[in-house]
Amino acid sequence: MQQLSYGTFSADIHQRQAGERIPVQVAIEVTRRCPLECLHCYNNLAMGDLDARRRELSKEEHFRVLDELVDVGCFWLLYTGGEIFARRDFLEIYTYAKKKGFLITLFTNGTIINEQIADYLAQWPPFAIEITLYGRTRETYEALTAIPGSYDRCLRGIRLLTERGLPLKLKTVATSINKHEVVAMRQFAEEELGVEFKIDGQINPRIDCSQSPLAVRLTPEEVVALDMSTAKAVSEYRKLAKRDLENPPNLAQNDSVYFCGGGMNSFAINAYGEMGICVISQQETFSVREGRVKEVWETSLAELRKRKRTKLTKCVHCRIQSLCGMCPANGEMENGDRESPVSFLCHVAHLRAATIGVETPSHGVCEFCAGGSEHVSVMESARRIVQKEVDVESWTGAQNILPILNNSENMIAGGCASCGNH
Amino acid sequence: MDTAEDQVLIRSRSVVVRVVAGETLIVPIRGKVGDLGSIYSLNGTGSLIWKLLESPIKLSQLVAAVANEFQVDPNVAGRDVRDFVREMRSVGLVESPTVASISQERPVGREDRVLAEW
Repeated sequence: MQQLSYGTFSADIHQRQAGERIPVQVAIEVTRRCPLECLHCYNNLAMGDLDARRRELSKEEHFRVLDELVDVGCFWLLYTGGEIFARRDFLEIYTYAKKKGFLITLFTNGTIINEQIADYLAQWPPFAIEITLYGRTRETYEALTAIPGSYDRCLRGIRLLTERGLPLKLKTVATSINKHEVVAMRQFAEEELGVEFKIDGQINPRIDCSQSPLAVRLTPEEVVALDMSTAKAVSEYRKLAKRDLENPPNLAQNDSVYFCGGGMNSFAINAYGEMGICVISQQETFSVREGRVKEVWETSLAELRKRKRTKLTKCVHCRIQSLCGMCPANGEMENGDRESPVSFLCHVAHLRAATIGVETPSHGVCEFCAGGSEHVSVMESARRIVQKEVDVESWTGAQNILPILNNSENMIAGGCASCGNH
Repeated sequence: MDTAEDQVLIRSRSVVVRVVAGETLIVPIRGKVGDLGSIYSLNGTGSLIWKLLESPIKLSQLVAAVANEFQVDPNVAGRDVRDFVREMRSVGLVESPTVASISQERPVGREDRVLAEW
């Protein structure tokens, strides 16, 4: 008998299956309803949204989907939302999945977790449970979540899970509302609780095409300043840049739209039983409500994953792709088009490169490269970050917590035009 | 002596077997069983023993089955099987039927209560 850590097993599987399509990883969105009304969220709906509730997969449909997922060899399972515990039958769905032997990660805001739920999870432990913390003070947290009392409920959830030794990790979404408390949140997680902490700077428009989350998105300069606030991150970005510069560009090596693991070894099922490449990509999804996960994986999703590029964008020959968050889903959300470069992400990537002293080789017409209209501005931002003129440690003190007044330059009028719901 | 020949053994009810990418894995699913940060993979002999442990079986019967299946000396098979069983017991993957039935009753009752209340 060989005892393996999940990390070792995961690395081994991915190495052995390199290039093969095997559905080992799934993200299931159990609901889009949530008790919080976070300004940056891409998919949350009100708890009392009866139409959303009526359309959600039933508990029995979830059971059937899980049976099918076992049959196709799925092992890693992420439950996400909305807020997973917004569904009163979530623990029943979760327990069914546990008994099927899935390795389960839970994404939650923690505000609904009470003693009963925490005790239950201690008995049936997930592989990981990740709580998103939106601030280190009540004022900031609730400025982003828009719900009074939510900060205390989140801290209660965190306490209940840590008291039981559950595999908790904390993370935050850095926004213009809470950026000044990111350092305090990290200290709380790592030093007070002794748990892992990560920062997500990615904010997308909503999947209903509203651009409202962009009102609280950090500027590229702020994103990169946060990135570079730890020596480990700087070293990691240097490694990625070196690898990119020494090898042919990833995208230039294939001619398909998708280049990530989505549709290759992972996929997602949304709250309404529609299967797609990932939780973000919602332009093309396929119903598995009637029970046909295997069929969709082998036909519709396979065809989508193999779809050919139709444009030669500046991304294709870009040599700093590993520093960039661009992917077809982000293109879809921001531009309504999987292939069109997202200007914000391109700006961030070039600024990351400039900050670590990497000169971006020419890759077509790019406003952020040498000679481009934004290049001088990128270099000036990089200088400010390197010289600590933009220092996350100095983001202290009272912030303007009226989101509409923050980052107004990031507000884009209208929607993505991919649907009529602006 | 936890490897006495006449002791009866059975798989823990708190683990699940999954086949992932062609590999047979034992996955602990409940608290206090094995190391929840780990999974366990079985080779050919281990898979046979695991299959036999689906229902209560004596250690001596396991040894005989392995010796017969792999045409090895019963003394060698006995030593290997005892080592394997000891290892599995130490991480809670195998138990005696009495313990299994007790551990099955208590958590399941509690689980139903919590789910009903929640």
